[in-house]
Amino acid sequence: MVLSIAVSKGRLLDSFIEILEKAKYPCDNLKKETRKLVIESKEAGLRFILAKPADVPTYVEYGAADLGVVGKDTLMEADKNVAELVDLGYGRCQLVVAIPKALGITNVTDLDFNSRVASKYPRITLEFFNKKGIQVEIIPLNGSIELGPIIGLSEAIVDITETGRTLVENGLVVIDTIMESTSRLIANQVSLKTKRQEVFDLVKAIEGVI
Amino acid sequence: MELKTPRGVKDFLPVEARWKTELESEIRRIFRTWGFQEIITPTFEFFEIFEQGSINAREAYRFVGRDGELLTLRYDLTTPIARMVASRLKDQPKPLRLAYLANVFRYDDVQVGFQREFYQSGVELIGSANPATDAEIIALAITLFNTMGVKDFRLDIGQVEFFHGIMEDCQCQKTKKLIWKALLRNDLVGLRDVVNSTELNESTKKLLLDLPQLRGQAEVLDEAYCKTENHRARQAILNLKQVYQLLVDYGVTDQVYIDLGMVKSLEYYTGVVLEGYVPDIGFTLISGGRYDNLSSRFGNQLPAVGFALGLERLMLVLEQQGLKPANKAQGILVLPHDWVKALQYAKEQRQAGIQVEIDTEELTVEQAKKYAAAKNMKALVVAGEKLEIIELAED
Repeated sequence: MVLSIAVSKGRLLDSFIEILEKAKYPCDNLKKETRKLVIESKEAGLRFILAKPADVPTYVEYGAADLGVVGKDTLMEADKNVAELVDLGYGRCQLVVAIPKALGITNVTDLDFNSRVASKYPRITLEFFNKKGIQVEIIPLNGSIELGPIIGLSEAIVDITETGRTLVENGLVVIDTIMESTSRLIANQVSLKTKRQEVFDLVKAIEGVI
Repeated sequence: MELKTPRGVKDFLPVEARWKTELESEIRRIFRTWGFQEIITPTFEFFEIFEQGSINAREAYRFVGRDGELLTLRYDLTTPIARMVASRLKDQPKPLRLAYLANVFRYDDVQVGFQREFYQSGVELIGSANPATDAEIIALAITLFNTMGVKDFRLDIGQVEFFHGIMEDCQCQKTKKLIWKALLRNDLVGLRDVVNSTELNESTKKLLLDLPQLRGQAEVLDEAYCKTENHRARQAILNLKQVYQLLVDYGVTDQVYIDLGMVKSLEYYTGVVLEGYVPDIGFTLISGGRYDNLSSRFGNQLPAVGFALGLERLMLVLEQQGLKPANKAQGILVLPHDWVKALQYAKEQRQAGIQVEIDTEELTVEQAKKYAAAKNMKALVVAGEKLEIIELAED
């Protein structure tokens, strides 16, 4: 049986292709093709579905794809009922709380009680501040989160960072780390039952090379 | 005024409504042939009743009555049935075999086939802890889906006591809950992280990490039995073995898988649990199990086992498997050129079970043909001096 895998384009896909090839799942078509949204790799028994990262958990939960590759951060934010099979280890980054250096505080508890926090991760952000007992207003944004404090939209931001360079360039400093994230292989709960052999063959092959 | 409905509810138009009713009649018939009697519970009851069951209070539609009492729209049927059994059916001979088909209300994120109002069908077998009752419920579930025409239906069975047994040495409830949560979601990465950070002994750790792999047919039971020395866990396996043997006798085991990693709600289920699905449809179709403690919350110690299925999900599966009945032309339109003759004719046809509509708008024959065709009727009958039958659709 063919396994369908929802993946998103970009640098992280290259890392995944590398792992697949090491695990002897050839996917030349995926490297070549650029515009198609569904790409077959007959030799590997895989069908790739190219999706936006935030949509990968949804595709998988609904069973439109058997498997998916997505960052733990996106997975947590989506909060879908999907199985998490492997920590793929690449795409490492941190989800952090950052503020403009000029604000001069070092701890999230020092944020003013009516602070606004801009983020692409409103769910995780809300949970984080709730747990700390800090009352903030969350402003959901879809990109360029660093702009928030610059244009006076928010006092703080919650965003992912790898090296911290973009934050520094925008005059921001990290005052807390919410979580570490890496890419994960996820699965639909029913595919895990009905395509068990194929799924766990792939899982074992991947675990053998990472 | 905008002519729309709130999120989470929907209309069934004539074609869907008819199909739904037919499916429900078939389900009702199957329940009845297995000796399950249908009951009907109120659309709303006191919140404190539902609170005793498997409920997420935030998802309950709660409202306050005129006297200040807290009321709840029917959240499930299992809990009201347990109330009913503890009160009005108290003196009935046990076991009781009860069935239901009803709409339930949950203020939840809208999911596949689960709107905020959705239709549930199910059975409860109350007053017996005999493995024969677990087997009966499982066999009924399989028979039901097979009879409805669903292709490749499969059922996973597990036993929550197996997990409780393995975790018996674990003092920390928080750890137990984290491990349970990882298993519930098949979060293998999280499972490894939690298990490896605990103080549990190595063999328990290994067994917990192996749990998601303890899935297959009868051989899994022997394998699992050998992997633990815990009495409670072994009892769970023996219980499942008994049930499985009965399922062999029912002749349904080619559709049954044993899945010891299936944990479901631990506060609610106390023994065998089940979950049914078909390949290529990414959601479960039926869910259930043994819940021996619910009735004690109503002052009545009665073991029970049951299942519930979502009707909309069944409809989705039938549709995806190409089994939704074609919208066949049916019924006739009568044009009453002679009123008395038309009524007489309609009466005879109706008594014969034919769907008859009599034109009340003085349509011409041409208009009537168009109208009847638009409503997908089989024939137009002009009732004048003579009866003229104009066929509109092939059989």
